[in-house]
Amino acid sequence: MGDKKSEVLQGTLDLLVLKTLHSMGPLHGFGIARRIEQLSEDVLQLNEGTVYTSLLRLQQQGWIASAWGTSENNRKARYYSITRLGKKQLEVETENWERFAGVVGRVLSQEGQG
Amino acid sequence: MGRLRVFSERMKGLFAQSRANREFEDELEEHLQLLTDRFVSQGLSPREAASAARRQFGNGALLQQRQREARTFLFLSSLWRDVCFGARMLRKHRGSTVAVVLALALGIGMNACIFTFVNALLLRPLAGFKAPGEMREVWEHSRNANGIHSFMPLTYPDYVFFRDHARSFSGILGYDGDPEGIIWNRSGHGEVLHGQLVSGNAFSVAGVGVAIGRSFTPADDQPNNPQPLVILRNNFWKQKLGGDPGILGKAMMLNGTNYTIIGVAQPGFTGFQVAMAPDFWTTLSMEEQLIHDPGRLTSRNTNWLLTEGRLAAGQSTKSAQAEISLLAREIELAHPDTNKAMDDVLYSFAPVPGPFRGYVTAFTGMLMVVFALVLVIACANAASLLMVKASGRAREMAVRSALGAGRGRLIRQMTVETLLLALIAGCAAVLLSYWTSHLLLNLIPTSLPISIELPLDWRVLVFTFLVALITGVVFGVTPALRGTRVDPAGVIKTEAHSGGYRKSRLRTVIMIGEIAVCALLLFSATLCVRSLLNAGSIDPGFDTQNIAVATLDAGSLGYSDAKIETFYRELDRHIRALPGVVSSSYVNHLPLDASREQTSVIDESLVATLPHGIPVDVFRVEPGYFKTMGISIVGGRDFVQSELDRKSKVIVVNTAMAARLWPGQNPIGKLVKVGDAKEQSEVIGVVKAGNYRSLGEDPIPVLFRVEMPSLRVLVVHTSKDPGALLDAVQRQVQIVDPNMAATQVQTIGSFMSLPMFAARTTGLLLGASGILALVLTWIGLFGVISFAVSERTREIGVRMALGAGRGDVMRLIMRQGLYVTSVGLVIGIGAALASARLLSALLYGIRPDDPATVVIVSAGMAAVAVLACHIPARRAVRVNPVVALRYE
Repeated sequence: MGDKKSEVLQGTLDLLVLKTLHSMGPLHGFGIARRIEQLSEDVLQLNEGTVYTSLLRLQQQGWIASAWGTSENNRKARYYSITRLGKKQLEVETENWERFAGVVGRVLSQEGQG
Repeated sequence: MGRLRVFSERMKGLFAQSRANREFEDELEEHLQLLTDRFVSQGLSPREAASAARRQFGNGALLQQRQREARTFLFLSSLWRDVCFGARMLRKHRGSTVAVVLALALGIGMNACIFTFVNALLLRPLAGFKAPGEMREVWEHSRNANGIHSFMPLTYPDYVFFRDHARSFSGILGYDGDPEGIIWNRSGHGEVLHGQLVSGNAFSVAGVGVAIGRSFTPADDQPNNPQPLVILRNNFWKQKLGGDPGILGKAMMLNGTNYTIIGVAQPGFTGFQVAMAPDFWTTLSMEEQLIHDPGRLTSRNTNWLLTEGRLAAGQSTKSAQAEISLLAREIELAHPDTNKAMDDVLYSFAPVPGPFRGYVTAFTGMLMVVFALVLVIACANAASLLMVKASGRAREMAVRSALGAGRGRLIRQMTVETLLLALIAGCAAVLLSYWTSHLLLNLIPTSLPISIELPLDWRVLVFTFLVALITGVVFGVTPALRGTRVDPAGVIKTEAHSGGYRKSRLRTVIMIGEIAVCALLLFSATLCVRSLLNAGSIDPGFDTQNIAVATLDAGSLGYSDAKIETFYRELDRHIRALPGVVSSSYVNHLPLDASREQTSVIDESLVATLPHGIPVDVFRVEPGYFKTMGISIVGGRDFVQSELDRKSKVIVVNTAMAARLWPGQNPIGKLVKVGDAKEQSEVIGVVKAGNYRSLGEDPIPVLFRVEMPSLRVLVVHTSKDPGALLDAVQRQVQIVDPNMAATQVQTIGSFMSLPMFAARTTGLLLGASGILALVLTWIGLFGVISFAVSERTREIGVRMALGAGRGDVMRLIMRQGLYVTSVGLVIGIGAALASARLLSALLYGIRPDDPATVVIVSAGMAAVAVLACHIPARRAVRVNPVVALRYE
């Protein structure tokens, strides 16, 4: 694969999935994978199966819920949606991420001493 | 919070697993389809599109596996499958399952039964007490004595001193430790109740409330102003008084005094000590009116109060003990005559009073050890049965392992099965122990006014299932390790039995151990049973067949001395008139009873050699006592009525006292000083020495005198069955005086059950353990030999085909069983002889290394072994060589 792609950081996939469901409304696994692919502009390399691992984790935490519906080509598909608890968690996680990113950014941008 | 939610989600995941798996499969299928469609629309061929989709998706099978693991607790779910499979296997091998469960249930159940008693007597707090953990018992302790005799209840003055001065207790309650038989005059008829004297603060310190009315206050319990008030036990109130709430304020005539009922104790409260459940309580200050023993409240010599104190906030046993010791020292300094070398010791609070706990612990501990050994036999049995079963399942294990089951997985399967067995056995054991412990309760002589509750509480359940679990691990681990060590290729290919010699060697070792433990138990059991038979034939020095006894206390009704005497004479006349009665008399207490009177006698002519005289036990009797009790008079004569009336200074001595004071001389006419009496007493008769304190003791010097107290035991000799006389005796008491009632009306045989109680119980339990061990060993030996025969069928066939006779085959099989038995026997008997000294305290008239017992046990076990081996050996003889070889 191309050298521009990078592995998804451990734990960040959950945040991405949560955010995707928050902004896009109910989606099935395939839809979530497409949306992340599209937004990351192919920078993130994603084994699409791992989306499901993340979905199960989020579901067990009670942050997302799932229901059966019909997909675009008229087949049975499971749709996931964010819960109230999930939205709250998303706020917390976003804030955490921004703080973390800010710190890393500051550290990386300091001038060399010699 | 989040973790808890995940946990509960996963627990939910345990159920509906297959549906979740199917749904997830559908979901992945759909995802792959959509990906493939997308690649097709981008121009790839359907085949290329499908493989590109799979690449992009990742490893689907791995994902499914991970998903399964994450969705639930995989360990638990496969455990459940193991349990289901195990249950199926146990159902399939019904015979061995029943055998193992039965063996284990017996072993575990007997241990649980003993533990039920330990729990009831030592562990469980008394019912009704608030925060029993804060309670401590205070015991007087003499530094000059050892063992149980160094501990005493408190005197009233000492109790009051501690109660009023000990700051480390928020309160100390006291009560009369002896249950007092009290006559309740209920509309002209006497009925015997049990009453207990308690301090005014007893209920409040214990935190025990009342169902109706009020409890005592310290103001009710003033020695200078005694208030006749009673509180009733809840069950007594319900059963005898119909639970009538209008009872408050009513009067009860108890031992001649009217008492006012002020309250009924809360339901479930049975008393301040284990096993005693008084019908009513009154205050200590009523002591003289209730039990007519004046002076107890001031006496510094009468130790009669058991005490329980509640630690004040922030106090520990250590700080409280320090204070109590200081206070005891203060008493000792103030009263050096009575309290010399007395200190006071704190005990934690438990149903059995502190100093006696050691004995109960030792006794139950010994029984626990015995039944633990039975359990060991049961375990060995179960293990060898399971190993037999495991070799039968070698093929199954081989197939499973060939299909990819790891050894750990196989061991887990086997362990689950054995734990399942242990669990079933545990359940059966709970039932068994409940049943046997209540059966054992019936062994307690009815003459003892005690009732023990044996609740099946959490302690008993935890103990039982813990033992079951340990048992399961112990008997299950070896068969599991052995049974799973398989070489699939070998087993499946040849169909031959796996293992062979090495496996059977382990079984032999287990079997030898089992027989050794069995021999040990059987030896101890036989000793105890034989000693019991001996004890039954011990001559206590009096007739134990044709006597009826009854306790009477005419003084309890407050009669004058003259009236008391009239009552006893009149009753005597009535009793003698009953059909079958040969003679009757009175004694102050029966020999071998708990009561004892001691004094010293001095022969002034022997001052040179015996300046302080000798200690003797005293019995107070009426004329005709020796004849009635069947005690032979070896010299001189019995008392006569006129001596009784005049309270003459005459005594009868037993042969032991005569031999001690006047060896080789005629004691008749000798003069001695009894106790601190001024006048001399003359010896008028000598009787044969018997047992007075305990069965089988060395003869103790005893003297008999007249001068009866008001409490007397009526002894009646009858030519018929004394049991048929009991009702008539009680009736005559009521005819002579309707207000009187006799207590402990019983045959001499039932009276004797008390001194023999410990020996009988031990003998019975040990006998049971021995028989149990023998039966278990028989089953085990039978199983192992049977299996060995079936394993050697082919070999036997070959031998017979080559010309071995039936006798040879029989010998071959029997030799194997008898070899195992004899080695086990030697080890077991050796261990028994080494440990038999522990039992010697319980044995009557038999040495702990009694050679006859060795012979009996060896012969018995040999017979059992022959019997166990004979059936499989006969089966081996019937092997048809042609069939055995063709089976190949």
